[in-house]
Amino acid sequence: MKKTAWACLFASLLSLPPQAMAFDLGGALKDAVEKNAGDLINDKNSNDADATQAKPEGNSLANINWKSPSKEDEIKLGREIAGNLLGAAPLVKNPALQQYVNRVGRWVASQSERSDLPWHFGVIDSDDINAFAAPGGYVLITKGLYKRLHNEAELAGVLGHEIAHIVQKHQLKVLQKQQLLSLGAGLLSGKVAKGNLAIEKVIGSGAEISARSLDKDAEYEADRMGLILAARAGYDPYGLPEVLSDLADISSNDGSIALLFKTHPAPGERLSALAEATSNTAISLPEGKAVKNRFYKLEDK
Amino acid sequence: MRYFLSASLAAILFASSLAQAESGTALKNDTLRKEPYNDAKTSGQLKRGDKVDIVRKQGAWLQVKSAKTSGWVRLLSVRRAASTGNQAAGVLSVASGRAGTGQVVATTGVRGLTEDELKQAQFSEPETKLLESYSVSAADGAQYAKAGGLKPIKLGYLPKPVATQGENP
Repeated sequence: MKKTAWACLFASLLSLPPQAMAFDLGGALKDAVEKNAGDLINDKNSNDADATQAKPEGNSLANINWKSPSKEDEIKLGREIAGNLLGAAPLVKNPALQQYVNRVGRWVASQSERSDLPWHFGVIDSDDINAFAAPGGYVLITKGLYKRLHNEAELAGVLGHEIAHIVQKHQLKVLQKQQLLSLGAGLLSGKVAKGNLAIEKVIGSGAEISARSLDKDAEYEADRMGLILAARAGYDPYGLPEVLSDLADISSNDGSIALLFKTHPAPGERLSALAEATSNTAISLPEGKAVKNRFYKLEDK
Repeated sequence: MRYFLSASLAAILFASSLAQAESGTALKNDTLRKEPYNDAKTSGQLKRGDKVDIVRKQGAWLQVKSAKTSGWVRLLSVRRAASTGNQAAGVLSVASGRAGTGQVVATTGVRGLTEDELKQAQFSEPETKLLESYSVSAADGAQYAKAGGLKPIKLGYLPKPVATQGENP
């Protein structure tokens, strides 16, 4: 049954012109986003975080209001995506670590315009080097990336980047766009009878949406915002740049970082962009604290 | 065994960069200053791509030396080649067993999460519940921050740079 649904969905997608191949992981999605959703992704003022009013909607996952998803819709979607990711890589079974990451993450998230979201942070058991955000406040970081961190400010910077994606609804906008394209495809091909696709079909098998390429601008924006969120929280603003500098040293042939490299601009470019953003203006960044002493060290086993 | 291979391979690959404690490359043209302040006197210029030795870090500044010149430059203008830095980072790496080669990751041999794996992943309700069980309230977060001596500050977001490409004053 599920298979059939998938086949239909893919068939209908395949019948679309290339820019509508929303399920393609590589450039096609980006193209689609750039060509058709420029208005959605790059709002007039990228720094304004619009307040989402919560409106009571049905609990069914199929009842997402795609035109303007409510906060509850967003959380429902994010939960589904995060749960799928956890299906691929479960949480590290270390409550002390998980609690630590939640305390730090929650504090950084509180500096954002969406402090009201129910924020959840987790370290997942994968040696891959990556971090993921899903709509509604779900942030996951791999054990592989966590182990490379040296202090709390670096953790805050990494979490800040993911928090920024959620605050700016970067993934949500891609999902919305995709849903609209899918609906369009269905209507055109007559293969999808009903207007509202079930959520599983929209987010696909889910987990990979969180790793899908976003617009490059979205990544740079998340870097700029993440740095500031960490700084607002009182941390050394250079935590995120330190991590990027570290990642820049990893060979792009390394499997552990292949996905990150595939879905993000190169760390060196991200550093350059941050350098640009911080040096052009009269902004003086505070010194902040690195907080090394209580950083939870995850020992190699 | 694998560790040995990794270590020796990394040693071969990175022998040159390991020879000196820390080096870096200028990410952009920038002014070198005599002291780590924006209004300190100029002591030279860095050109994008210049190789420098990093002497030390202070706040947002790096003290660097190149063949031609030396001085303080903004931290983000230089990409460090040896990732672990000259702070306690190096010590931490030693303590956690990742010592010796900043770049040993070049041979981690980890295959990594693939898109296929992610596509095939099945939703896990128990793991999702567990994740949610670790959440803390905003108040808890604030309390923990306070305990760590962190003070929140007001700060605007960084505007998007007008020119995206690196060369500027």
